[in-house]
Amino acid sequence: MKTKRELGLFDAVMMGLSGAIGFEIFVLMDYAYFALAGPDMILALLLGGLINLLIMFSYSELGAAIPEVGGEYTYTKAAYGGLVAFISGCLRWLASVFVAALAALTFALQLLYLFSKVAPAFESFVSAQVPLIAIIVTIVLATLDVRGVKKVGVMIVTIFLAIFAIFLAGGLWHGLIPPQVLQKPLTEGLSGVFAATAYTFPMFFGMRALVAGAAQVKDPEKNVPRAIIVSSLLTIPLYLSVAYVAIGFVPLGDYDEPFLNLAAENIMPRVGGVLFAIAGMVASLSALGTSITVQSSIARGMSRDGYLPKILLSVHRRFGTPYVAIIAGSLFIMFLSVIGAVEFLGYAASFGSILVFALVNLSLLKLRKKKPYMKKPFKTPLYPFTPIAGIVMSFVLLAVPIFLRDANAVNALLSGLGLLALVLATYHLRMVGRYRLQVAVGGISLSTGIFMALLIYLIEVGFVPLILPRIFLYFLIFVSAVSILAGVLNVSARTRKIF
Amino acid sequence: MRPRRILGAIVGTVQGLIGVLAVIFAYILYIDFFGLQAWLDVTAEFLPLYMLALIVFGFFSIMSGLFLITERELP
Repeated sequence: MKTKRELGLFDAVMMGLSGAIGFEIFVLMDYAYFALAGPDMILALLLGGLINLLIMFSYSELGAAIPEVGGEYTYTKAAYGGLVAFISGCLRWLASVFVAALAALTFALQLLYLFSKVAPAFESFVSAQVPLIAIIVTIVLATLDVRGVKKVGVMIVTIFLAIFAIFLAGGLWHGLIPPQVLQKPLTEGLSGVFAATAYTFPMFFGMRALVAGAAQVKDPEKNVPRAIIVSSLLTIPLYLSVAYVAIGFVPLGDYDEPFLNLAAENIMPRVGGVLFAIAGMVASLSALGTSITVQSSIARGMSRDGYLPKILLSVHRRFGTPYVAIIAGSLFIMFLSVIGAVEFLGYAASFGSILVFALVNLSLLKLRKKKPYMKKPFKTPLYPFTPIAGIVMSFVLLAVPIFLRDANAVNALLSGLGLLALVLATYHLRMVGRYRLQVAVGGISLSTGIFMALLIYLIEVGFVPLILPRIFLYFLIFVSAVSILAGVLNVSARTRKIF
Repeated sequence: MRPRRILGAIVGTVQGLIGVLAVIFAYILYIDFFGLQAWLDVTAEFLPLYMLALIVFGFFSIMSGLFLITERELP
């Protein structure tokens, strides 16, 4: 079914901004400021904004040339097909799930802050229930998604812009001048700046939601690239000014409270922190809902192409929503949010997306060669340097936090590599086909059963000592018999000619 | 339903349950519930090996069981 094109340039810019300006600003600046870059976080954000602009040029060209639903997955499929598209889809799905888990956790942390100010008596109770709150909020949002409740993204971004405007005006009212903010020394040097750029990168890349929603934009060949570039350019001064004011009001130190809330508290005593907590909670809810929808649409797209089980395409009989894909993704989100590690989730979401960005830039290079006559309503400036620079910067952002030996980054990268190995294994198993796989698993089951039978024989003749009660031996005989029987049944599966 | 199909469903269910039990047992061993490690004479050095064996066995048992349960014969 074709999606109706009804959004103009302004709506498209608002869509890009509502994707970009979200909960991330309420949570990611903390670690970037206090642990990675100190006041040089401003430099890190500027660098992040410029790298994002580089990458968004490639997105603009591809979004205008292929204005279809699916974004990155569609581009990599057009350029490379098969395995690369599958990896890109999986990485994008994983990034959405990590972002959703981070959003659920941010909601819980902002709620904790709110209780600490409004009802301090309940603070310790709420503090102990942070993982539970993250789970509950995920269940509620997943239920709303299954029921097909619409989002209010554009309204939220308008409210945020108003709140940030009050914040900035308050900062300037207090007479914040550059030397106060920028004269502090470098904390970790330039590598700290790069690590902070990598960590805060999710603050920018939300605007790719516009690419995913290109199918709803009128005259997409012109409006999508323009909207992407305008919203990319708008976010840079916004984030820089918010960071500038916040750094001016919160000196480096150990705090239990979120960085932006602290700054708002200092600028607007009594109401500032609470206002930001409410804004952070609303932003987290909005992002959580959006991420649940995005992950389900990616999973469905891949399921439609035969890469994932068809059950993910199931639509709810009453609400007409992809309830299986929503529930499956939400279970992952709940599991990740229970971990409760904000820094790990921040890096994981960032790394997943940075890899997708590298693949998008590679796709642009490939498509320009493979399909030179493809219609290009928007051309990336300074081609091929722009996509190459995008790829190089993506890998720099991946590498620097690792070289800095940031434990959170190392854990995120190792987890990412493990998940990537799982993704590759899934792809190959999927390509092998169910019946070959059934025979292979049957063979493993049969050999395990035979091995256990041999072990039982060796125990019985006294060659291997039995240190456990004899009842375990009877259980081993039972397991061995079941394994052999299951192996024989699987190997002799007469469902289809195998070889 | 044909006898092979019934047998497959029963064996598959039992094998799947064995697989789930193996994974649960690996977890119980890991958290040392009821002082299981001392009772089974499992040293900290060999604990990861036992856990790996139990998890791999459990994973393949569950997969094999699910294949048998969801087997559909072509006409």
